[in-house]
Amino acid sequence: MSAVPAELEVQGLTKHFRVGGALFERSRVHAVDDVSFVLRPGTITALVGESGSGKSTVARLLARLYTPTGGRVLFDGKDLTSLRGRRRTLDYRSQVQMTFQDPFGSLNPAKTVRHHLARPLRIHHVVPRDHIDQRVHELLDTVGLVPPETIAAKYPHELSGGQRQRVAIARALAVEPRVVVADEPISMLDVSIRIGILNLMADLKEQHNLAFLYVTHDLASARYVADTVLVMYAGQIVEQGPADKVLSSPLHPYTELLLASVPDPEAGARDEIEVRKGLAAAAVDPGERCRFVDRCPIAIDVCSRVTPPLVEARRDQSARCHVRAPSPDLREELHA
Amino acid sequence: MTAASPATTPRPFGRREPLVELRGLSVEYLTRTGLPVRAVDGVDLEISPGEILGLAGESGCGKSTLANALMQILRPPAQISGGQILFNGDDVTAKSREELRKFRWRNVSMVFQSAMNALNPVTRVGDQFIDMMQAHERISKREALNQTGDLLELVGIDRRRVRAYPHELSGGMRQRVIIAMALALRPELVIMDEPTTALDVVVQREILQQVKQLQRELGFAVLFITHDLSLLVEIANRIAIMYAGEIVEEAPADEIHRAPRHPYTIGLMQSFPPLHGPIVRMTGIPGSPPDLAAPPEGCRFHPRCPHCRPEDSFLYARQTTERPRLRQVGEGHLVACHLVEREG
Amino acid sequence: MSQVQVEIQQPAPSEPLAAPTASHHRVRLPSWLTLLLRNHKAQIGLGILFVMVLLAAIAPWIANASSATNFVDLPRQPPSWSYPFGTTDQGSSVWAGVVFGARRSLATGFFAAVIATVLATSLGITAAYAGGIVDEIISLITNVAIVIPAIPLLIDVTAYLHSRSMLTMILVVGCLLWAIEARILRGQALTLRNRDFIQAAKVSGESTRRIVFGELMPNMVSRIAAAFILVFYISILVEAGLEFIGLGNTAKASWGVSLYWATVNSSVLQGEWWSFLFPGLAIGLTVLALTLVLVGIDEVSNPRLRGLPKKRRFAFRRSAA
Repeated sequence: MSAVPAELEVQGLTKHFRVGGALFERSRVHAVDDVSFVLRPGTITALVGESGSGKSTVARLLARLYTPTGGRVLFDGKDLTSLRGRRRTLDYRSQVQMTFQDPFGSLNPAKTVRHHLARPLRIHHVVPRDHIDQRVHELLDTVGLVPPETIAAKYPHELSGGQRQRVAIARALAVEPRVVVADEPISMLDVSIRIGILNLMADLKEQHNLAFLYVTHDLASARYVADTVLVMYAGQIVEQGPADKVLSSPLHPYTELLLASVPDPEAGARDEIEVRKGLAAAAVDPGERCRFVDRCPIAIDVCSRVTPPLVEARRDQSARCHVRAPSPDLREELHA
Repeated sequence: MTAASPATTPRPFGRREPLVELRGLSVEYLTRTGLPVRAVDGVDLEISPGEILGLAGESGCGKSTLANALMQILRPPAQISGGQILFNGDDVTAKSREELRKFRWRNVSMVFQSAMNALNPVTRVGDQFIDMMQAHERISKREALNQTGDLLELVGIDRRRVRAYPHELSGGMRQRVIIAMALALRPELVIMDEPTTALDVVVQREILQQVKQLQRELGFAVLFITHDLSLLVEIANRIAIMYAGEIVEEAPADEIHRAPRHPYTIGLMQSFPPLHGPIVRMTGIPGSPPDLAAPPEGCRFHPRCPHCRPEDSFLYARQTTERPRLRQVGEGHLVACHLVEREG
Repeated sequence: MSQVQVEIQQPAPSEPLAAPTASHHRVRLPSWLTLLLRNHKAQIGLGILFVMVLLAAIAPWIANASSATNFVDLPRQPPSWSYPFGTTDQGSSVWAGVVFGARRSLATGFFAAVIATVLATSLGITAAYAGGIVDEIISLITNVAIVIPAIPLLIDVTAYLHSRSMLTMILVVGCLLWAIEARILRGQALTLRNRDFIQAAKVSGESTRRIVFGELMPNMVSRIAAAFILVFYISILVEAGLEFIGLGNTAKASWGVSLYWATVNSSVLQGEWWSFLFPGLAIGLTVLALTLVLVGIDEVSNPRLRGLPKKRRFAFRRSAA
């Protein structure tokens, strides 16, 4: 897997928001802290986490709807974080696209489907003007919306939820991007049509060699569709690795907690999970410690004093945990 | 369109008197065009005392409308257009306003999806309990406060939180407050309408554990409404599947999981990717739920059913003209499907 | 229950059909406009407005221009066949005064509304979308403009300016009435701005200008139309008010001026009801009409206000079988 060159590399991405209205308020919410990962062409990477974990913020940072407080985003090795000027922003946007969670909210209710697909084609000059209609139909075909002529003339309220989400995906594909960030694409859809959207993503990844970042809270769908899984908690990545490994033999206690909580009809009687009080996921001024320490069943002394680094404890699988993935640099600390 | 006539649906025997009986219940909305939309169409359903009945279905299937009808909190333009709702043998629709007031919350209570819809954001939690209790029985403020503390502890919240405002509590805690409120008068039935959908998966697990424990301790029945069938398999005793205003299958939870018979149920089970085992390509169900203003003729699922093919002309004719009725296909297992009927 | 509402408003349409659906009209009216035209209150309002505008338009053919302001016949005549609205104290025709006055009053109101709406829309939406310092500055200006008492200021300005032309009136009224609408439109634009489809347009690469005019504004049309109508009728009233106290051009025909002359000549005391009733009625009916259209827009924009055919609205029958 590492032989394939990276499409997009994120290094130490950080985003802090100021808390409180006072002008000199010092408190900061560490929505995203030191997040690093790599997206490769022809893969789906799942970014898994609960609300407040920072996963949506990461998505918006990648889509440049927020500007990062720190860190870099590299495309083919070139640093894009400090892009200025309309040309360069447009250039970025033609490579990295995004779909949103609410299929209705992400479409302009006053505009037809055709408008939504034609605009990106026009802005980025993907095809000459007289070819736009044709390309719109092709895009609708690609996402399985047929007959394209009929669909193109419809307004969002005339479509079902699943159809709207497909339009949103088609819009993202219009500019022929290399990376698509999908922010919870199925969580607001009916259960029976979710699989269709996931299958579409898997097919597109194959056919167009795209790199998908699939942001979700649903482990089961992540397992179904993703090659790599990144688990986020309180703004940090706490585990990452190949999907099957992370979800069958997790390293981090939080991943274990997630797996124990997901409804699993196959499992027989399950152990009850322990209810532990913990800080709300998004950390305000967290300080130097493991953010999961209040809820962790295996915490040791050092966990409250030192932030664990992300360490590769098994082949291709890393975790941020002093116990399961101890850092060699901290050997003295840990044995204190 | 033939409606299912009441009291002809075969019921599994050997059970106690049902707590709730819905017989041929129909609920209609009047739309702007004047045509009625049947959100619930001829539903027969029973809830036994102390059982957890899961009601699964997707958006627009009528499950929330059914719950509202049970609690008699339907708002115009929705109204019950047919059938009966029996609670402990009494016809709920025939109750006077005063009787209904007592009925609600004391016999049946409800937990909604979003706690913030049910909690007053500018009133302390404890006060909301006290208001509710005093509205239903003669009780002093001190006694009510005491009981409130007990209730909060019952759901795993520190009793000092009676003084908190809703926004000071986390989402999971708020939902637990709602559950405590629903249990305050020790009702025999608690209706839970998507109680955990808006919550994170870990919090969801905690709440469900809590509900199971409470149910064991206090013995109330639960009507658990959700779109998440995988959740129901874990928590419910029996599961009913609803589609386009009708019940299409009803069986014990593990039976639904092991051996679903109705093509819609099978399709639904096929929509949840598994957490173990090989990863195979799944199909979900093509198409989308019908517009209830103009539902398909005959079996309402037939446009999306893989077993509805014109080649099979006799069956196809039935599927497109005749509404299937719930029939028993196994111990406690009912299915409304022409194909299943034919297979015996 | 709110959940009950949801189940109506989300009827999932069936699968895409093999054949095209309903035929398309050549000119596709925005759906809210069609709805508005079907709304009864709006219909009445628009009807009255139409009559007023028509009268103003054909004024030269149904009355004599000079008889609106000049002496033409015996003064203080009650309505008769030759003078359907009677004559004023100056001996001019009240009827001519009303229909020619309509031209001036309606035009002033209309253009003042145009100016105010253009100002309110551009400033309000820009403030909302741009945010930051731009928003702060525009909001500051808006708030100052709101706080300044408009009527006294208008009186001062009109009294101070020696010109009494229509243009002056239009500018003065338009430039002071924009502020409240600007704030309202800013509020609506703010809620829209955070909707995903605006973010999605941004991610597609749309320029700010295109987002404001191409994506935001079309979703605000009904609110902008409402703003326009509101300023329209306030302008008519303000303008009439200013003229009534003598700050208008008393030599020209206009509804407010007619009322001015009626007061100055103590027509009320003299029992000459026709010289103030008809101009007053004209103002009142126009304002009423505009209000009705406004209510219609409100009903159309807010789905919860409509929805039920009137007959069924209060029918809640409980049938057991």
